[in-house]
Amino acid sequence: MIRDRLREVSGQIIAIAVALILGAIIILLVGESPVRVLTTLLRGAFGDQEKIAGTLLQTTPILICGIAACIGLRGGMFNVGIEGQLFLGGFAAAWVGFAFALPPGIHMLAALALAVAAGAAWVAIPAYFRARYNTNEVVSTILSNYVAVLLTSYFTIFLFKRPGGWSETPPILATAYLPELFSFSRLNWGLVIGLVLALGAALVFRYTSWGYGVTMVGSAPKFAEYGGVNVKRQGFVVLLLSGAVGGLAGGIETLGVHHRFMEGFAPGFGFDGLIAALLANGSPVATIFTALFFGALRSGSLLLEVDTSASREIITVIQALIILSVSAQVLVRRRGDSQAGERRWKF
Amino acid sequence: MEILDKLVNVALIAATLRTTAPILLVALGGSFTTKAGIFNIGLEGQMLVGAFFAVIGSIWTGSAFAGVACGVAAALVFALVFAVLVVSFRANEVVVGLALNILAGGMTISLMKAIFGTRGSIVGHGIVGLPKVQLPGARAVLGSWAPLISGFTPIVYVAFIAVPLLVLFYNRTRLGLYIRVVGEKPEAAEALGISITRVRYIASLLCGLLAGLAGAHLSLGYITMFTENMSSGRGFMAVAILIFSNGDPLKVLAGCLLFGFADAFSLRLQTFGYPSYLVLTVPYVVALTALFALSYRARPKVITETLASMQRLLSTDKNIGPDGKHPS
Repeated sequence: MIRDRLREVSGQIIAIAVALILGAIIILLVGESPVRVLTTLLRGAFGDQEKIAGTLLQTTPILICGIAACIGLRGGMFNVGIEGQLFLGGFAAAWVGFAFALPPGIHMLAALALAVAAGAAWVAIPAYFRARYNTNEVVSTILSNYVAVLLTSYFTIFLFKRPGGWSETPPILATAYLPELFSFSRLNWGLVIGLVLALGAALVFRYTSWGYGVTMVGSAPKFAEYGGVNVKRQGFVVLLLSGAVGGLAGGIETLGVHHRFMEGFAPGFGFDGLIAALLANGSPVATIFTALFFGALRSGSLLLEVDTSASREIITVIQALIILSVSAQVLVRRRGDSQAGERRWKF
Repeated sequence: MEILDKLVNVALIAATLRTTAPILLVALGGSFTTKAGIFNIGLEGQMLVGAFFAVIGSIWTGSAFAGVACGVAAALVFALVFAVLVVSFRANEVVVGLALNILAGGMTISLMKAIFGTRGSIVGHGIVGLPKVQLPGARAVLGSWAPLISGFTPIVYVAFIAVPLLVLFYNRTRLGLYIRVVGEKPEAAEALGISITRVRYIASLLCGLLAGLAGAHLSLGYITMFTENMSSGRGFMAVAILIFSNGDPLKVLAGCLLFGFADAFSLRLQTFGYPSYLVLTVPYVVALTALFALSYRARPKVITETLASMQRLLSTDKNIGPDGKHPS
């Protein structure tokens, strides 16, 4: 048991090492020194107290989006639309924040609640068609991302633009702020919410019959159906929950960091979250660490653009290489299978 | 009516054909992998690297066609990596496809910064665009309708000629048949001694070839520039089309014309002062609606078939046809 686990973890680490070597080659190709890029990344991510807080600040949305992805992956669903749910959730929270005046605390909760509802609502149609008619959710959620991003841009620029501002809504009222953890950073309670969610999701998957059912639907749908799980309804609920958490991520980003909604307010967090969840193989607790890893990369990349000639997108290259090498190594073990066998959606 | 005339005219139809070409090429490319039983979400990335390296090749060699060759070569490399991971290593096709898309996005931006020192887009630098082919005699025969068949870049013609060629390929050639067998009945293919691995490799590479051409059309066709993520979801729309067309070339063409029209129409709407953000959603909304509507339609067919067969069983009247109705 423990040995299997160890082999699994060591496999992931070898894959990451392979990806880092490939990444170093690409960095050499774009004319930078890999050592300099690495030290700059480390300095940018963990250089001092504020940098560490900055890393955790970047980790928060990746973690919450990662949990959203984990919920989907566990149930055998690829929610690639987290990015769109994040944007809509972010806008919904901002709207409650600036359009209503409510008592402190209640205001924040109302804003988060609407963010959650917006995320769930946005995935509801793809989820319904996936559950009822088996419409491929990967494509429908990816396409709905584009609509969500354009739609929030439209809301921001044409309907709720701050007078005198450029592509941003009016600021939210202070009653809706998510409290900050330290005085020297915008790091906020969102991180705590993310950690609680991760642990909560892990407990639900491990100890409740519902969670067990979800995992079974994801790994062995026929077995689950035979065992009396309503596979279709559960698929719908899983995607809806995943979307709700994605919306929450957007709400937390708005209420905790930006205090307004602006065009392109959180680019790529949804995809980073999905990658973090894939790297963690769908485990919410492991997602905490992979999200921290990607948060550090992101935070370090801010300094990268200042101190080296490499662009910060080099980290998305490294992320993609990690996923590619992990996907290859996980399935090397299954290589002996017949090509004719049923192709599974499992990572 | 006057507004309608302004919106729908020869220019719009010609624009539709232009905007259809890239998505048609990439969707036809995806038809190879779809027919071979691979779900290829990596089309988007292959198209993007195709567009980027077409521009690089065009600047480097000063020739548009050498640029197209560079773009195709880059897309082929991505297709090969996809095939190695998915076919040989049996990795999950969605994960590999998404990762390759992310890789394509990050890599093109990083290389753009490294080579040109800029972010956002590559304009100028001596990019050579593809020439427009003026068919001789088109104007004499068709008059004002000539723009419908003449004056496109060569890639547009390739895209539309590829449709009947692919129909023949799937129905009349050995390789086309092998690809279909591998996709539909892999057990049968294995029993016949067809190498599933080799057929899937060939399908992936053919797919990369057409996706690369589609990318080159984006950056060297009607605008000669490269911008960040310039494929802007066309690869994903192609996947949507492939899902509801099942990779059949004629249905792919029909779907792509719909999207080409939506694309051209939304560009037209923008000039009429509709908010661009809403207008830009039109192609994606059309793609989603088509995806949902066609999967909705696909389902009840099963039910009506079942009802019809039940009716046949229960009915004493043996003249009821397979559609549940009297033949008369």
